[in-house]
Amino acid sequence: MEPQRKRRKTEESDTFLWEVLPVLSEELSQGIEFLQAYAAPIINKKDTSHLVKKLAAMYPLEGLQHIKRVRACRDKHSPHPLEIIVCLASDLNSKEEGGTIPSITALLHNSESDCTGLGEPFLVQIPAFPPLTRPQFEEASRHWPTSFHEDKQVTVALKGELFSKDEKATMQKYMEQAIEAAKAGKEEGMASVGALIVDPDIDAVLAVAHDCRNSPNPLLHAVMVCIDLIAHGQGGGAYNYKKYPACHFVPTDASHYLANDNSLPSVNLSSLEQATESGLPYICTGYDLYVTREPCVMCAMALVHSRIRRVFFGVISSDGALGTKYKIHTKKDLNHRFEVFKGVMEQDCQKLSQL
Amino acid sequence: MVYNNEILGRGRNEVNETKNATRHAEMVAIDQVLEWCHCNDKDPGDVFERTVLYVTVEPCIMCAGALRLLRIPLVVYGCKNDRFGGCGSVLDIPADDLPQTGAPFKCISGYRAEEAVEMLKMFYKQENPNAPKSKARKKD
Ligand SMILES: [Zn+2]
Ligand SMILES: [Zn+2]
Repeated sequence: MEPQRKRRKTEESDTFLWEVLPVLSEELSQGIEFLQAYAAPIINKKDTSHLVKKLAAMYPLEGLQHIKRVRACRDKHSPHPLEIIVCLASDLNSKEEGGTIPSITALLHNSESDCTGLGEPFLVQIPAFPPLTRPQFEEASRHWPTSFHEDKQVTVALKGELFSKDEKATMQKYMEQAIEAAKAGKEEGMASVGALIVDPDIDAVLAVAHDCRNSPNPLLHAVMVCIDLIAHGQGGGAYNYKKYPACHFVPTDASHYLANDNSLPSVNLSSLEQATESGLPYICTGYDLYVTREPCVMCAMALVHSRIRRVFFGVISSDGALGTKYKIHTKKDLNHRFEVFKGVMEQDCQKLSQL
Repeated sequence: MVYNNEILGRGRNEVNETKNATRHAEMVAIDQVLEWCHCNDKDPGDVFERTVLYVTVEPCIMCAGALRLLRIPLVVYGCKNDRFGGCGSVLDIPADDLPQTGAPFKCISGYRAEEAVEMLKMFYKQENPNAPKSKARKKD
């Protein structure tokens, strides 16, 4: 489901021609599923609490705690102001039904005394799962009242209002550098894709890369180059990029920090130590990646292995693995998850493919 | 990596030496094939299309993506990789519909799987002695 953008644009987004939107997990971004249920009018309002108790015992609606059992009748002129869910359609033995709506007596096991107080049943759709986002809540509520525990952060993010003007200016500054790198790569005969890894805590660029797939190694996509440049900066690395001056890194190994003593805040040093002390080089812990287009599945998984913090990309790609074909960053089975945002300087990034 | 009955590349995990978390055995072996192509004046595209990868553990999602991009036709592996496996365990990259990501490939699994599992256990023990026990067990 596409996030709704009906709200008038705020002052902040007016100065940018692009909007940054989160790439959320399937369960947050999908439409909602419904179950069929039988509801019936409550003839006398005074019986409501008695009927709720009786039906809850007879048909407990297990796993549907988000469903409100009673709702106000939508027809204002109805003689019965309240309606109640009797049971799920699946609670009945379907063979007996043959597609027609059963009588209230049949629903209540032909027990004459229990039927008093309820009108004839009708079919309704009720949401199968609790809504997780405001759009899901609104869709659910159109069918049957549902409780909703709003995650304000998700609501704000879906409206494209998660980031301040200053934060968007920072994103633009970084993405402009990725676009420059992409252009430099194109000059070298590569795909026009650029990437950048930054340490957001100190607002510093640590590595800039462009695609190198037309070098002897076809797997050197911009993201793979960028990750390897970070490894170089930490005293490792697998490839040599001397031929490509637009691919460069800033040394970030602990000895460098110590030599330059006060030049960088200690927050970064400690996170670096945490990453290396474990014996595993989770080299991108705490870092953000900016890339002009959505990474492929190889690059997306390389970012999981490298423990990236967040990814910002410009345009989607047809086999992209951070939203289009897969959502690698939200997969619960993997041991690292990260946030992904799309749309940063979307049009400028789009233009790169026409170079 | 075997081409015309000749081993062109033989890799092992080099993540620690390179401080690059993407240096899995497959990626290292691929680089050796590329080097061989360079030295023998062969087109890597032609060579990879006729090369079989033998690997002890199911390639991860990243490596499976790389193998697709190179159009390797066949991968033979020992045991499954429940944590990262990209050839059926977590995702099925060789079979999925990814027209812009090289070509689909075939997999043969289970060859000497028990030994592969033992080796993997040893590897994780060495790799990270601080890893919680429960996590270490999860991956067999
Ligand atoms: Zn890629
Ligand atoms: Zn791998």
